[in-house]
Amino acid sequence: MNDEADATGDKRFRILVCIDGSDESYLGLRYAAKLSHGLDSDTVLLYVRAIDLGMRSGGLQISVARENMLKWGLELPGIKYLKKGRDLLIEMGEMAPSWPEQSTHTDVDGTSLGDNKIEYTNEQGRKIVLKLKVARDIATGIIDQWELGEYDLYILGASEKWRKFSLASFRDPAVAEKIAVHAPCSVLVTRELEGSLGNLLCTDGSERAEEMIRRAAALSYTCGFPVSIISVAEEEEERSKAEANVAQAKNILVDMGIEPRDTVVRVGNPVDEIVDEGKKYSMVVVSDTSRSELKRFFMGSVAFKVLEESKHSVMVMR
Amino acid sequence: MRAQKLKVDFKLAAKGTRKIRRVVTMRWRVLFLRLWEKRWFLIAMLIGTGMLYLPLPNGLTEQGMIMLTMSVVATILFITEPIPLPGVALLIIIAQVVLMGMDSSAVAKSMWNDSVLFIMGSLMLAVAVVKQKLDKRIAFLIVRMTGTRTSRVCFGISAVSGILASFIGEHTVAAMMLPVGITLITLTSDDPKKVRKLAVVILLSISYGCSVAGIATPSGGARNAIMIGYWKEFFYDPTNPETHKFLIDYVKWMIFMYPMFLLQLPLVTLVLFWTFKPEYRDLSRAVVKLRRQVEAGGSMKSPDWIAVLLFICILIGWIFFSDQVGMGTVAIMGATAFLVIGLVSWEDINIGVNWGVVLLYAAAISMGLQMKNTGAALWVAENFLNLLVPLGAGEGIGLWAAVSVLTTGVTNMMSNGAAVAVLGPIVLNLATAAGESPVVIGFITAMSSSFAYLTVVGTPACTIVYASGYLKATDFLVVGWKMVIISTLVLLASAAVYWPTIGI
Repeated sequence: MNDEADATGDKRFRILVCIDGSDESYLGLRYAAKLSHGLDSDTVLLYVRAIDLGMRSGGLQISVARENMLKWGLELPGIKYLKKGRDLLIEMGEMAPSWPEQSTHTDVDGTSLGDNKIEYTNEQGRKIVLKLKVARDIATGIIDQWELGEYDLYILGASEKWRKFSLASFRDPAVAEKIAVHAPCSVLVTRELEGSLGNLLCTDGSERAEEMIRRAAALSYTCGFPVSIISVAEEEEERSKAEANVAQAKNILVDMGIEPRDTVVRVGNPVDEIVDEGKKYSMVVVSDTSRSELKRFFMGSVAFKVLEESKHSVMVMR
Repeated sequence: MRAQKLKVDFKLAAKGTRKIRRVVTMRWRVLFLRLWEKRWFLIAMLIGTGMLYLPLPNGLTEQGMIMLTMSVVATILFITEPIPLPGVALLIIIAQVVLMGMDSSAVAKSMWNDSVLFIMGSLMLAVAVVKQKLDKRIAFLIVRMTGTRTSRVCFGISAVSGILASFIGEHTVAAMMLPVGITLITLTSDDPKKVRKLAVVILLSISYGCSVAGIATPSGGARNAIMIGYWKEFFYDPTNPETHKFLIDYVKWMIFMYPMFLLQLPLVTLVLFWTFKPEYRDLSRAVVKLRRQVEAGGSMKSPDWIAVLLFICILIGWIFFSDQVGMGTVAIMGATAFLVIGLVSWEDINIGVNWGVVLLYAAAISMGLQMKNTGAALWVAENFLNLLVPLGAGEGIGLWAAVSVLTTGVTNMMSNGAAVAVLGPIVLNLATAAGESPVVIGFITAMSSSFAYLTVVGTPACTIVYASGYLKATDFLVVGWKMVIISTLVLLASAAVYWPTIGI
């Protein structure tokens, strides 16, 4: 299926912003707008509607209730949220109402609604897409989008709406966490995202971490945010190694022409130290270093623990 | 562009073989996710296979063990939903034929009874009723009766939703009343932040009003019909006049349960106002606009009157004739009448009803009957009772509370109809083993199955109202636990005081 990706789309940086109507998701959208302004990227705004698999509505399809809302002239939540997102982009000057638009509808088996999208394209071929999607659950719907067009970054709000509060939550973790674990690209989970405090980049000296530093620094620079570096040694004896990691990362940044604001070396449990230091920054960037899928599921990694415990936004780089 | 100055390739920092390797890892990740989503299906199947190879416990026949395994596997699948629930229903049918060696026609026969017919008919009626344009009339009626004070409007919404839901099912009323609630909210203020608490109170008035009403009459929800079916199948013997008390008809059910609904109704508004203090004490602006909107629609037209009349006829049918022709037949008659008169099209019914629900309940009931026939239900009940006796919950109010807590726990994890279908055979056997009345225990189970106030997905009305997008999942949690306590107390008080005075 060649959905959003087309001849030009493949070369551009592609950002998927998940909109759920929460304040955090619009914060994420603001950040996406800043990024896409600098990177000239395509942005897709996605709202996922879950199919009622468990037949929770007691045998009456939810669509009956939705149609009834339409009959009263009320807008359905998904459409309302996406429109609000579009208006926000227009207000920020990221898109103009005059961009030519194209609407597409795709049928999805088992629902009367199907997938709907509106695609806005400017003269340079840059796209902003509003998409309303139906999926078996929200997280799967978001992750599946990657198959349709290879995204480089997923942005989603860590609002509690993504959480499924129920006794069964142990088996269905928060949507944000599920996506961060499974998504095949970098994921930014926004919490009170304020650009002014700068970004904290974590390194453990590995090749992956350095590659991540390079990309994350460039992204931050594009948005005009100051960059800082942290490395954590688990024991006092390893402090010199952590210092070397920081120095190495600093060199990478200086080579790129970016002067890091702070460099921090801490000793202790990596998760606690990063979360604690991260309080001073608006975003913590960690790289997903564990290679084995199994290990990730059963042990969890520093990246995901930081994601869970951090007070501010976290970007997991892949 | 600033980024290009940095000479960083954002798309993929790797080239050549590393790029290919990376794409392969990404694909593998997606594939892994697909498998990971099905993990509960595999786990359930492994547990099932393991149970079948276990040595037979004392007092359980081989057939009983197979049934027990089936219900454990089905329960895991009901809770974790790795496959669509109608798929579980099909698995139950297959397992009965393949594992139990039952005749295929016998399995098919055990699936259809009056309760299933009733569930199917009620769902068709639900769509037919929502398709009539009666919601605006009802909204008008509410605001004309209550005036403009927020608390009175909310009580009016709960009361009217509840009374309607008690007869035509909570999902029907929730679907009808949702636009009424949202219209009142949006007419008060366009900014959702300014009316956040008001929105919660109005929408939860609808959903909890419907939820507490779902137990009031047999037609309030599928679970009630399932329980009536179980009583009849398990305990009724046409040759023994002693067992006639196990035939619970529409009126008898109402006598037991309607007062419980009426008792809870004012508490809904009280609890909601006590928990969320809405921003607006008066809704006159919204009410005036709503009145104008409704009046623009003109007066009641003849199809509207016919729909109302038809519904009254169905109600009369349930009350007076259901013991002769069955409640299911009356529901089917009603749906047919709507089709014959042309008030609803078959296409609407076909799209609006989730037919999988009918299949699911049919299979769950058939499994419940086999649990009873093979003695598996009795075995579980006796063992459960042995656990309860040391806790002092082996009889009387202790046992009632235990059954209520068990049902509340299960119903918060799966749909309430499925909870009653799975638990019914066990708790009814528990009642006989403990020397309690199966009717009392049955009512307690049916009622507790509506105490799923804690989650978005707990009751049909909550699910539908949540679809509006105005509520957070935590809203249900914040107020839900209070509702659970209140409802449990009302239930236990009725079981101890009210029911004995009317003779069970």
